[in-house]
Amino acid sequence: MNKHRYHSLSISLHWLIAMGLVFMFVSGLYMVNAEIPKAEQYKLFQIHKASGVVMLWAILLRLLVRIFTQKPPLPNVISKEEAKRAKLGHVLLYTGLAIMPLSGWVMVSASPFGLPTLVFVDWLNWPHIPGIQRNKLVEGIANNIHMYTAILLSCLIVGHIAAVYWHKRTHNINLVKRMWWFNNDN
Amino acid sequence: MKVKYCLSQTAKAFLLLVSAVTALQPAIANITITVSNENSEVGFSGEHAGMQFSGIFEQWTANLTLPPAKAPQITAMFQLESAKTGDFTYDSTLPEGDWFDVENHPEGKFISDSITVIDGGYKVSGLLTLKNISNPQTFVLYEQKDGFSANFAIDRIDYNIGVESDPDAEWVSREIMMRMQLAKAN
Repeated sequence: MNKHRYHSLSISLHWLIAMGLVFMFVSGLYMVNAEIPKAEQYKLFQIHKASGVVMLWAILLRLLVRIFTQKPPLPNVISKEEAKRAKLGHVLLYTGLAIMPLSGWVMVSASPFGLPTLVFVDWLNWPHIPGIQRNKLVEGIANNIHMYTAILLSCLIVGHIAAVYWHKRTHNINLVKRMWWFNNDN
Repeated sequence: MKVKYCLSQTAKAFLLLVSAVTALQPAIANITITVSNENSEVGFSGEHAGMQFSGIFEQWTANLTLPPAKAPQITAMFQLESAKTGDFTYDSTLPEGDWFDVENHPEGKFISDSITVIDGGYKVSGLLTLKNISNPQTFVLYEQKDGFSANFAIDRIDYNIGVESDPDAEWVSREIMMRMQLAKAN
């Protein structure tokens, strides 16, 4: 295994989740705020829910791979203080990633509507979390967590990308190579 | 002797008339038609997210004793669990607590309190009970060559159906159309 980059599975999941997040952010904002026909809104909600389940699997797998594989060491130019902050940033990113689908799942499970979540059209009927059905209080709390985590996560992602750019400018290092499958043997 | 004979002749004629009338009476009074999902159809329809939905009750039975019977009455029992639209999302949501709540109220019923003959059929009034809530309903049962038909609307809010999810009918129409097509022959 190349020790200058993350595990191949981590890299694949990183970019798949990145694309998934763009879709989740856009569809989530659009379905809640846009003035669209009810039928479209309803369908978008169902797609968002189903995609959320896929995101949950991807994020859980990502965390497992991260726990059971070695992460590449940071370049020497990065100070101990910077490394500490980077560590905190990544812990927050992983936490935010996990909270998003979980809070969504709680919302769907607690909603009095009781609509099922069908993944891949109707291949899988994703279960509701038991014990919280028709619980508007839990639904409301989960709704707020979902929204505020989305805002925080988007800020963290902007910071994540800005940091890559900042290190490129300040230390002249290309950190993206750590998250790419090839051309990273420097 | 002669007088006695005459009397018994009159008595005989009277008895004959009485027995003729009493023999006819049950024939009028006891015509009860039994219908069920086996030979007839009870359906419902409404609007969800601007889209039409419709379904049928797959398990129900009703008895119709219509005028000129002495005590005309219509009674119907239907299994709420058997409401099917053919759409998995709807069919798995309908039995849930805020909708039909089949776990606590598996059966719905209709018991008439008045049936009057009108042009083309019968005007039926009675109590429709869903989720243990009884509301008066009135509809016209049209008589056809080989059956009966009726259409009438109910307000789902009157029956606490979807009051937590959608009290303002933002998603699901308050008005739900009931449709009946009943066979005359047993």
